[in-house]
Amino acid sequence: MTDHVANGGLAAAESQREEASVNRAAAERGDAPLLPSERLWGFWEFTYANSALAIATWAFLIGGSVGLFVGPKEGIAAIIIGNIVGVMLTALATTPLSGRYGIEQFVALRSQFGYNGSRVVYVLAVVVLTMGWLAVLAMMFGRSIDGLAALSAGEAANPTGIKMIVAAIGAILVTWFIVAKGPTSIKFFNMVVSPALVILMIVMLYLILQHRSFAELLAMPALAPPFEDNTLNFIIAVEVNLAAGFSWWPYIGNLARLTKNERTAFWPNILGIFGAAALGEIVGLLAAVALGDSDPTIWMTKIAGPVIGIVALLFVAFANMTSMANILYTSIVGLRQVGTASVRAISWGAILFLFCVIPLGLVVFYPQMYDGFFIFLVWTSALNSALAGIGIADYFFLRGQKLDMRSLHGPQENGPYRFWGGFNPIGLFALAVGFGVYVLVFNPQTLESLPAFKYLTASVPSCLAAGAVHYVLTRLFARGRGWGFYP
Amino acid sequence: MENDVAWQNELGRRARIYEDIEAGHRFEGTMTVLDYASMTVLTLALVLGSWFWGA
Repeated sequence: MTDHVANGGLAAAESQREEASVNRAAAERGDAPLLPSERLWGFWEFTYANSALAIATWAFLIGGSVGLFVGPKEGIAAIIIGNIVGVMLTALATTPLSGRYGIEQFVALRSQFGYNGSRVVYVLAVVVLTMGWLAVLAMMFGRSIDGLAALSAGEAANPTGIKMIVAAIGAILVTWFIVAKGPTSIKFFNMVVSPALVILMIVMLYLILQHRSFAELLAMPALAPPFEDNTLNFIIAVEVNLAAGFSWWPYIGNLARLTKNERTAFWPNILGIFGAAALGEIVGLLAAVALGDSDPTIWMTKIAGPVIGIVALLFVAFANMTSMANILYTSIVGLRQVGTASVRAISWGAILFLFCVIPLGLVVFYPQMYDGFFIFLVWTSALNSALAGIGIADYFFLRGQKLDMRSLHGPQENGPYRFWGGFNPIGLFALAVGFGVYVLVFNPQTLESLPAFKYLTASVPSCLAAGAVHYVLTRLFARGRGWGFYP
Repeated sequence: MENDVAWQNELGRRARIYEDIEAGHRFEGTMTVLDYASMTVLTLALVLGSWFWGA
């Protein structure tokens, strides 16, 4: 009898443990807020994760692009100014709320744009952006592997050849496999690769300084300045870096929800994202100017020689994969929340693979997009800077840092975040205003700008305009209509 | 999952935990005025320092 009762108790406890495990896995995927006791990351773990996200060949490429506009001294200043402002505003808009409530970023976004509006924002900011980035990063991986093969065989590299395409496809598929295993595998990958990459940065910097002294490097001119006006060239370089800083908007909120509290969610972005990205960009800038080529898969072999070059390219290839894993994970966590019930019914592995289909297509059929990467980056800032402004205005100034977990996760059709047919016209209008202000002040396609651009940049006015419009119109119209559960 | 009563109960349980933490002001590691002042000073120092050094 005693054994029977004991066995029954054990079975019940086992069943409870299983249920808790299933619920926790669902919360990790974003279906529910993560409880403080379920969060994975402390300060250093999140710093490693952020560093792994930031240190990829995109940092080298952005640094190289900066070298086209200005010399290294102005370039370093532009990298620091653009990144600190962009990262600070983006982190402020996304991470304190994720760190406080463990909430998935696009569920939280229902409070700003409505439950259907958050879907629109997801498509604009994540689907287009992440699919593009996945393809570009995979191609960078492919180019690194192609460079490695060429270096080993003593042949010339063919960065658009079949080896690059096959390796890029392989990178996407391996990333899919890693992310399908869940955030624990991403954490392991980050903890191993990230510190190694910081060491690689320092080695690269050391090798560059063996070729030329720091003073010589600082005195070198820009590779291809587009305008005679040096101030305009400098502000464009700042704008490129603001775009890089704001480009973390779709990702860091969903990583920050895995951290233990608000402070742990916010400050590692400054060390991990700003610090690591700025270091990577500065290395890319100095190398590009010193060696006359902004493509890291080319200058690395030039600067490091065959043996260290192979090791460096290998590391950089895998650095791209850590970035791909992080952005793919956060994007799919978001997709499950903004998607319909049928989207959520698709298994985790299958939905990941479906998301990878378009990047695979881009790698195979449109490898030219790699060369337009810099314009693609700056366009994204027209959207991300406005989103950051709206996020700060809404969470800090309109809601007093309070979100209602019950309403955000409950049925939406008759809930307080229904707004107008599931869309918050105020938030979406503010987003359109921010985007419009950006393109009016600075056109990323043609580099044409208003005189104000030289003093204000384009991302900062876009962020301020979107935030101000959202704040004022919400105060004037939303509360009276009972929209959005504003206090 | 939305129609699943057990899941709705689980969502309710999690929401209740956060409501209790909020009501008792028991959020750990919250950002304070010191954090916001520090980030402002850090940003201004880096922007102005870089501007005067490099621009």
